[in-house]
Amino acid sequence: MASKFGLAGGIPERRVRPIWDAVDSRQFKNALKLCTSLLSKYPNSPYALALKALVLERMGKAEEALSVCLNAKEQLYTNDSVLIDDLTLSTLQIVFQRLNHLDMATSCYEYACGKFPNNLELMMGLFNCYVREYSFVKQQQIAIKMYKLVGEERFLLWAVCSIQLQVFCGNGGEKLLLLAEGLLKKHIASHSLHEPEALIVYISLLEQQSKFGDALEILTGKLGSLIMIEVDRLRLQGRLLARAGDYTAAADIFQKVLELCPDDWEYFLNYLGCLLDDGSTLCMGNDGNPLYPPTHVGCKNFHLSDEVFDSHISRASTFVEKLLAECNNASIRSPFLANLEIQKRKLIYGKGDAGQLIEGLILYFSRFGHMACFTSDVETFLLVLDDHNKSEFLEKLKGCEPTRSSPTMAVGQSITTFKIENLIGNMFTLPLCDLESLAIQMADLYCKSLPLSKDLDIQENMHGEELLSMVSNVLVQIFWRTRNIGYLLESIMILEFGLTIRRYIWQYKILLLHLYSYWNSLPVAYDWYKSLDAKNILLETVSHHILPQMLVSPLWSDLNDLLNDYLKFMDDHFKESADLTFLAYRHRNFSKVIEFVQFKERLQRSSQYLVAKIETPLLQLKQNADSIQEEECILESLKNGNHFIELSNEIGNKSLTFNEDIQLRPWWTPTYDKNYLLGPFEGVSYYPAENLIKQAEANVLKNIEKRSLLPRMIYLSIHCASSSLKEHTEANGSAFDPKLSLELKVLLERYARILGFPFLDAIELVLGVPSGQKPSEALSSDLIDWMNFVVFLNAWNLSSHELGFSNNDTSRLSTWHLVNSLLKKFIFEKVRSTGPLVSSPGGDFPMLVQLVTEPLSWHSLIMQSCVRSFLPSGKKKKKGGVTEQINSYHSHDIQDSIQSLCHTIKEVTEWLIEQINKSDDADFETIFSLLQMNGESQGPGRIFHTLENMVSSVNNVDLGDRISQALQSWNAADIARKLVAGQRSSLSQFLRICESKVKSLQALKMHL
Amino acid sequence: MTTIRRFCCNDLLRFTSVNLDHLTETFNMSFYMTYLARWPDYFHVAQAPGNRIMGYIMGKVEGQGESWHGHVTAVTVSPEYRRQQLAKKLMNLLEDISDKIDKAYFVDLFVRASNIPAIKMYEKLGYVIYRRVLRYYSGEEDGLDMRKALSRDVEKKSIIPLKRPVTPDELEYD
Repeated sequence: MASKFGLAGGIPERRVRPIWDAVDSRQFKNALKLCTSLLSKYPNSPYALALKALVLERMGKAEEALSVCLNAKEQLYTNDSVLIDDLTLSTLQIVFQRLNHLDMATSCYEYACGKFPNNLELMMGLFNCYVREYSFVKQQQIAIKMYKLVGEERFLLWAVCSIQLQVFCGNGGEKLLLLAEGLLKKHIASHSLHEPEALIVYISLLEQQSKFGDALEILTGKLGSLIMIEVDRLRLQGRLLARAGDYTAAADIFQKVLELCPDDWEYFLNYLGCLLDDGSTLCMGNDGNPLYPPTHVGCKNFHLSDEVFDSHISRASTFVEKLLAECNNASIRSPFLANLEIQKRKLIYGKGDAGQLIEGLILYFSRFGHMACFTSDVETFLLVLDDHNKSEFLEKLKGCEPTRSSPTMAVGQSITTFKIENLIGNMFTLPLCDLESLAIQMADLYCKSLPLSKDLDIQENMHGEELLSMVSNVLVQIFWRTRNIGYLLESIMILEFGLTIRRYIWQYKILLLHLYSYWNSLPVAYDWYKSLDAKNILLETVSHHILPQMLVSPLWSDLNDLLNDYLKFMDDHFKESADLTFLAYRHRNFSKVIEFVQFKERLQRSSQYLVAKIETPLLQLKQNADSIQEEECILESLKNGNHFIELSNEIGNKSLTFNEDIQLRPWWTPTYDKNYLLGPFEGVSYYPAENLIKQAEANVLKNIEKRSLLPRMIYLSIHCASSSLKEHTEANGSAFDPKLSLELKVLLERYARILGFPFLDAIELVLGVPSGQKPSEALSSDLIDWMNFVVFLNAWNLSSHELGFSNNDTSRLSTWHLVNSLLKKFIFEKVRSTGPLVSSPGGDFPMLVQLVTEPLSWHSLIMQSCVRSFLPSGKKKKKGGVTEQINSYHSHDIQDSIQSLCHTIKEVTEWLIEQINKSDDADFETIFSLLQMNGESQGPGRIFHTLENMVSSVNNVDLGDRISQALQSWNAADIARKLVAGQRSSLSQFLRICESKVKSLQALKMHL
Repeated sequence: MTTIRRFCCNDLLRFTSVNLDHLTETFNMSFYMTYLARWPDYFHVAQAPGNRIMGYIMGKVEGQGESWHGHVTAVTVSPEYRRQQLAKKLMNLLEDISDKIDKAYFVDLFVRASNIPAIKMYEKLGYVIYRRVLRYYSGEEDGLDMRKALSRDVEKKSIIPLKRPVTPDELEYD
């Protein structure tokens, strides 16, 4: 309204424009100058103040900005003569939002709306504020007010969406939907509906209340024409009919959909499902569905009578025949596949013939076998075949002569045969020599395919790229069987070779990053991860390839980057999400409103997000554990760990989401907590993968619950430790609160429970290990957790003395000794079992890193806390030596502990130095020699050398310039050196961590 | 084999194997969501059995008067599903919506001048090079503005090629 008169917030536009221009071009100093001059003319103008605040905030002066904002707010509230318009308020809103004071922006708008009750622009601004705060009830109220004021359809829909949000994302009861329905009905009676999206919302509202009949009536009535694309209307109609249980009518409608879109596979499944009285395939909306629903095998429709089943199946067959006859587009696969689906259903019903299904599959192969998607197309049909039938299918497939005349198609068919062999798990039963020759065949085919790609741009996928992934996977399996690391190296070489020829193949990169991780060459793995350029939402779906390994590595700085980038992405989205929701409101795309809010909630409940939220502070705590002062600062910034306790408490009630795309993981590590290579060879069954995923998800939940207790336990341990020595007075002179000790006990009980033990049993277990009464293996599956438990148990016992023996009982070990001896035992064990990294992939290196950076570090903090409380606090205790003040038992224990810890960690550093000082060349030779065949016809290196030789034997003219030139840069030795260098770098980073700990412990000793 | 439907937020969590391709940009969230919030009919995904994402198209409709047009912002297909005319199907869908629902005059798109395979494909789909945009991509590579006239542009005025190249500043729309 103000701008109509060339005024902005009551100030002439020409005076304001330069400020915005300066802000837009990031000349903030200049902008500030202009603001100052503007304010000299309009000292009390809220708009001028808001502009100044905006500039200050952009300059990073948050406090000043807030104070100017508050001044503007004050002017708005008290000065009757000032102009209140949306421009002023929205500018203030921007600044308040950036300063995390959404509530203040809202109250400004609320005040303005109170003062000018019928101003639509201000009301929309207020609605926007509520959207930002996710205050669904208030949104609804203001939307209704706007609707009443101007009677516009959009405001009614704003209110309806706000009601739906209360039901689906808030705590509103489902009855509210009835209210929304009533509002819409009334509006339609007098005004009808005009927006397609409004109709979609109306129908969804009815569907949500299971009023399918009503929804159908609306859809098939006059309003239905709002949905302009006929097939979309039919899809919706069919779905509603099916949900209403009228499968016959639904099947008729779905048939119409297929006549219009014969390639629509989802709707063919819906069609067939309805014919067989099974609506379970129907998509019930996108939210709440798992991202990767279990592979659909199809319902067993045993309740249908034979006659009905036969007649319905025959109707489907006839219809599919008709589609096939009409199908004149060579790329339409759905009707062909539909025949297979019909065979499959018959088989499940008990009336089918596996032989026919196999014949059908072979026919499908002859038509589409050259396509890269053939294997994933037919995956679902193989599920219903038994092993014998699967083998028969494979044999027939192998016996097929290439039916395709074009060389690329013939290669495609051959690749498909290999993929099917892989898919049905046949490779796990082949003898080693057959497996090797299979890999040779694949390598051979790869070489033969290369000339087909000679004219392709480097940007384009080459023919046969998948072959090298498969060869590499076979080699990993041979490694698993033989434990000959030469095969592992060979597997890496194959992929690196492929990437030399074309550097963009992300599938190779993913396999490589896992192989390098497994071989403890994490820096190289991380480089490959970075080369995937995973950013934005891919951080949520792709990070799982590297994050779990990084969390247990000494690569702290890289880990820090990884966590921060990820959290920044997520948090930024949470900040901007509401604005985008408002955008959907404004553009009347109402169905997106609910989708956006639900999606934000989905990301907020992401398990990976929670892991990152807890591991980020834990990383800080690990990084600073050598200095108790710094550690306390961090704990203080974490509210002494209290927030994480709340998080842990909530885990049980939260339904977390798992958004990682785990389908792209290598076969040998199908989930982030499973690595087949760490165990003995036993073959792999690909089905059902769902169980593995569920187990992995359960483990993640348990882990988050457990890890979020750590910051608080560290905090409490530090306090309990100091209290034991200072007669209930802490280092800073304040009295020790006995509740802290009690709380630590409660947390220890809980921690033990998460580990699967009642508290007393857990204590008995850890006490029994050093004396040999309990086997140490009992702790090994959750070693780090148990050691953390022991460390905190000691701290608790220092203040509570509750354990069955006191620390001055010399006949038994104190809890200090318990911790020291267990740390020593396990760390020594791990040093021995880790072995030289170069010859022992897998191995215990990550475990060793964790032992040192977690339990040992927390233990050293407890010692630091004790020693600090020996020291005079302030000047008043100058008199008297430190040693005079301390309890001799404690002093003895602590000195012993420091001694023991120093000894333990020195063992680690010595081992590390020994590893690092070995000559690079020796390590390189150790592994590179594995690929030297020395005239033998078997063993690692054969496949790789065959590949190298075959490629080099291909004429350069056939390969084309690009490929020939790329091959010139290939050097296998470089790859072996890179692997070794990566391991060295990990060792060195770990050594730095250990050396810093030794230094800190020695300094501690000096204090005593 | 291909179900084409509106793109929804959850698809962002499922398009990994499409977007890991180095030529497919993964934009920030507000970019995708702005398109979803403003032009949901121009953002479609093609899906194979087992909810596998085959590819997707995102676009918008904008302009004034005879410049009212559909725009293809991104179209991409996963390697597994290439060479089966999926991009064509997705493009046809967007053209259809621009033509029949929004009654636009033409559809346009930008492509790197060096991306010969893509340019050839668009030409096969009926697009012509309308003009060259100098240093359109990160101030380095030239872009080509390609157009296809829709039924409302009876005389096909919108696709008469410009004689001289333009700079990014001269573009009416991004």
